[in-house]
Amino acid sequence: MSAPNMAVDLGGIKMHNPINTAAGTYGFGWQFEGFYDVSQLGAITTKGCAAEAWPGNPKPRMCEVTSGVMNSVGLMNPGVRGLVEQSGEYLQGLSDKGCAVICQVAGHSVDEYVAAVELFEELAPFAAGLEINISCPNIAAGGCAMGSTPDGAAEVIRALRPRTDRPLLVKMAPARVVEVAKALEAEGADALSVINSIPAMSIDVHTRRSRLSRPTGGLSGPCLHNIAVRMVWEVAHAVDIPVNGVGGVMSGADAAEFILAGATSVSVGMSNLVRPDSAPRILSELVSWVEEQGVDDVNDLIGAFEC
Amino acid sequence: MPTPSAARIHEFEVVSNTPVAEGIWSLVMRAPKLAEGLSSGQFMSIAVPGDATQLVRVPLSFSKADPVKGTVETEYAVVGDGTRRLSLMRPGDTSDVLGPGGHGWRLESHPRRVLLVAGGIGITPIVSAARWLAREGVEFDAIVGTKTVNTLWGFDELMSVGVQHVVITSDDGTAGDQGFTTDALEPALAGGEYDLVLTCGPEVMMHKVADICAAVGVACEVSMERMMTCGFGACATCVVPTRSGNVGACMGGPVFDAKEVVW
Repeated sequence: MSAPNMAVDLGGIKMHNPINTAAGTYGFGWQFEGFYDVSQLGAITTKGCAAEAWPGNPKPRMCEVTSGVMNSVGLMNPGVRGLVEQSGEYLQGLSDKGCAVICQVAGHSVDEYVAAVELFEELAPFAAGLEINISCPNIAAGGCAMGSTPDGAAEVIRALRPRTDRPLLVKMAPARVVEVAKALEAEGADALSVINSIPAMSIDVHTRRSRLSRPTGGLSGPCLHNIAVRMVWEVAHAVDIPVNGVGGVMSGADAAEFILAGATSVSVGMSNLVRPDSAPRILSELVSWVEEQGVDDVNDLIGAFEC
Repeated sequence: MPTPSAARIHEFEVVSNTPVAEGIWSLVMRAPKLAEGLSSGQFMSIAVPGDATQLVRVPLSFSKADPVKGTVETEYAVVGDGTRRLSLMRPGDTSDVLGPGGHGWRLESHPRRVLLVAGGIGITPIVSAARWLAREGVEFDAIVGTKTVNTLWGFDELMSVGVQHVVITSDDGTAGDQGFTTDALEPALAGGEYDLVLTCGPEVMMHKVADICAAVGVACEVSMERMMTCGFGACATCVVPTRSGNVGACMGGPVFDAKEVVW
């Protein structure tokens, strides 16, 4: 049997395979070039960038918990101009090699999201799509405050949709996912990334202090994988636009689980940080799984879960 | 494109792993490529086995990289679960290590004489610095701070690589002079012999060392410790506030020019 087709279409973003990376765990892609040729991935999603640079939160920004990490990075980013100056040439080259470059967009308000999208439109021809992060748990305004309700989420996409023809993904908060997904679809979102990290707490019982610089942070890693699979399944049933599954993917089987639940593509997140060569390994395991399933197209397995 | 980290994943085998002072262990691992690549002051991140629910690597500095034997030595304090599990590794056990990470000590100022200031487990990269200075033919002295005589490690190693003078300070007076390294630093710098101080230890100590050096106009480099998730510049969790904004300790450090750090 010849190699199966692994190419997928994530709401207009053409990916030569379903493996993507989770923003915030992948820098701007070039950080991984020492470990493997990044262009073998179907897509990468770059660190969320706002119109202006953000300094992020104070230390400590990370603590380890059972089967995961909590972070409070606070979307530290160089701004869209900084991204383009530092990494634009690399990202253009990556795009030229056939890897879709998805740029994540950050903001504290609708106006800030608009400003960032306009800058990407002007400065980032390499962006195959824009992922709107309305679900960061670690910023004082915007983020998951806007993304956790259908109205708040819809307001952002309503403002952005007329400003770009590029595919718009939305990084969703792990809250009211079905209602929010329907609202986003109605406003013209092209695809949904499900889910962002889950707001969580970790307390040092000896000092009685948070183990992060803020009381709460975002939990990610394999501990939340099965919550994410359930949410992908719910969203995929509720909307017609494609879903990018995100959450605790450490193996090809984890990625396959998302695809069976209805995801068109899958982002590798925390695994990139603890084992920097993991995304190509996960891709290779996923290809083996598709072959083992006896189909010649990975698309035949999207949503093929049977209860 | 900006330069990616030189770090790679290396398999390693434990050669020895033994306690050398109270709460301090010495690990020697065989990892030939890593041993060839490490520069003094850089770090490595070890995947420590023993608990499948703990995934983040443990970042550690090293005291000796021997490219001939293909070994890397680190002294580490057992302070948390990761280092506790590391202390359980036995000769012959294997895992993998990511490195070399970041950039290490610099000799940009072409110093004539260097003063090394170590506090606690900060001694590890200071011993590495001593070996490097000895190889470069730069004379150096050291101030080594410890809680008590039982937690002291590194004196013999510094002597064996040719340190000229060592001052020991201890919190309780059981080793050397009672007090802090910074108590010994001011008089040491008063003579004007030194044109560079390299320091690693608790941040409050390094801050004071930096202030003292700045006051007398002596260049100072600090090795900053941070919680790290990736260790190669992807995650932005290990930042150090600097005059140029937040900089990741894993790429912009761990060694910083003390004048650049916003304490």
